[in-house]
Amino acid sequence: MTVPAATALIADDEPLLREHLQAHLARLWPQCQVVAQARNGREAVQLYEQHHPDVVFLDVHMPGMNGVEAARQIGRDALLVFVTAYDSYAVQAFEEGAIDYLVKPFEAERLADTVQRLALRLDERQAPAAAGTVRADPPMTEVPAPATLDEVLARLAAQMQRQAGSRPWLQWIKASVGQAVRLIPADEVTYLRSDEKYTLVVWSGGEALIRKPIRELVDELDPEQFVQIHRSVIVNLRHVTQVTRGANETADVHLRGRTETLPVSRSYLHLFRQM
Amino acid sequence: MPAAPATDVRPAPAGPDGNGPAGPPAGRWARLLREFTHGKVGFTLGFSITVAVVLNPIFAPPFTVVLGRSITVGLVLLLAYVLAGQWHQRWVPRWLAQALAVALAAPLATLGVYLVSTGGDFIAFVQHPARVAGFVWISGSALALGLVLALGALVRDREAAVREREAQARSLQLQFQLERAELERQAVDARLALLTAQIEPHFLFNTLANVQALVETGSPRAAEVLRSLVAYLRAALPRLHEGGLPTLANEVRLVQAYLELMHLRMPDRLQFRVDVASEILGLRFAPMALLTLVENAVRHGVDPSETGGHIDVGGRAEGTHGLRLWVADTGVGLSGHGEQGTGLANLRERLLTLYGPHARLELSEHTPRGVRAEIIVPDVRGPAAPVAEPR
Repeated sequence: MTVPAATALIADDEPLLREHLQAHLARLWPQCQVVAQARNGREAVQLYEQHHPDVVFLDVHMPGMNGVEAARQIGRDALLVFVTAYDSYAVQAFEEGAIDYLVKPFEAERLADTVQRLALRLDERQAPAAAGTVRADPPMTEVPAPATLDEVLARLAAQMQRQAGSRPWLQWIKASVGQAVRLIPADEVTYLRSDEKYTLVVWSGGEALIRKPIRELVDELDPEQFVQIHRSVIVNLRHVTQVTRGANETADVHLRGRTETLPVSRSYLHLFRQM
Repeated sequence: MPAAPATDVRPAPAGPDGNGPAGPPAGRWARLLREFTHGKVGFTLGFSITVAVVLNPIFAPPFTVVLGRSITVGLVLLLAYVLAGQWHQRWVPRWLAQALAVALAAPLATLGVYLVSTGGDFIAFVQHPARVAGFVWISGSALALGLVLALGALVRDREAAVREREAQARSLQLQFQLERAELERQAVDARLALLTAQIEPHFLFNTLANVQALVETGSPRAAEVLRSLVAYLRAALPRLHEGGLPTLANEVRLVQAYLELMHLRMPDRLQFRVDVASEILGLRFAPMALLTLVENAVRHGVDPSETGGHIDVGGRAEGTHGLRLWVADTGVGLSGHGEQGTGLANLRERLLTLYGPHARLELSEHTPRGVRAEIIVPDVRGPAAPVAEPR
């Protein structure tokens, strides 16, 4: 089998690993020229536009734009090889989508297999009508149907987004305490009470005033955990120890580690009906 | 009857004890009325009738008059008893005040009853020997019976109060036990969390890939990096039998090893400095606490940034037995919706169980960018709680 000449781009945020891959490629596939190295997804897309290499090696985890997002932007003109360290879910997705991948730290033989597959596909691309050439082996992998590739990458990208922890609900409340801006984990907030122009945040570590009004906070905090019990009060259910009912359709909420109680307005009383 | 207290009662609640439960007047009346239980009133009436029946043979007036006098005196005694019980004063014990009130009310009430029958003429009353004798009989029996009954009621009330206090003490103790069980559970949870999943496979395999690259190129740095990796693994892998807490020096070595490995992996993106005052290095400190903060600074601060950042790890003594440790990074910072720091809630619980509620973990924004995390322990000797690190 003749090994075709090719150009390649390597994207990885760790310089030693970029060099390592390039060194192995030079040995296993001397006809392949690495035209550029990218340090993150954004650079990878940029350098791809600039050089249009045949093959792109993409680390899955990179700062800023990750490898999967970069792949979606680069599109299917390039042959993609993902590089990852222990991402079982990513590996599973690559298997399903018949997408080539390497797992770090990789063995030279594994890279040799990959090079062989890449060379085969490049051959097919460059000479689609090379009839008469008898192939010794059938192609090891079919080129994935374009729809499948896009689909798999989109699913993977969504999954990584979730794993990166961008959650829909407010996780931190930023409050000025003295000179510093304290970061208060939402879990630790006991309750919030509007106090004229400000909102009083009461958490296990103290109290602070913030500018964000109650009516905005109630939309941004996780409704499973934070409920409004009064026009001016939001309470963290995980900090509630008990609710005592008073006369006249009223109730008081008792809180862990606090001596004060919070009143529940009549219109929010249904939240504490017995199960 | 209901009209009677209206004149008598007013001075009582406004007594010298100004800070008593000064509820609205309506509440006071309600409380006072509640004191006149069916039991008390029934008892009083029953005894009054008995006294009237017993004394009737020696009295000249018809039975109904004797009965009326007896019942009136009985109810006045009950009123005196209840009012004395409600009166907030601190000169004499309440039981004594109530007994004295009954003793005083017995002759006065009888006198009042007889004055009514003589039309308010005291002289006429005194000059009438039969009436004086009747007065002595009624007030004498009222005094004797009233005192016996009042003291009996007091003993019963006191027993009820003791029972109530005991019940309260029991419920407090139950609550205390519950809280202790909760604390112990938290300590075990924290210990378990420490024993599992401290080393992220992603970190381990990426680091090994770097070691592989160094080894294959014959780099002299390979040995040094392997030393850092071994130091990190030795400290970070679960240790089941461990006597007491390791020293802070241990933890600082671990942090140094971790940061050196990360610097090897991203030399252009991570700079760091570790500077912990030498006088606190010998203190025993919660293992993995500082590392958790440093890992967070890398994972959520520096690593997501294309340009990277600087991590500053420091520590100094705080007072005679306290310390303050900090990790400040110049990474991407925390957005309101970003991920909660990994293991921070866990770290908070461990600090609580080891050092009590005065130990703090504080996060703040670092200027111009990034996050600063601080651990402040006012006294590393802890709350002397043996539950802190279970065997």
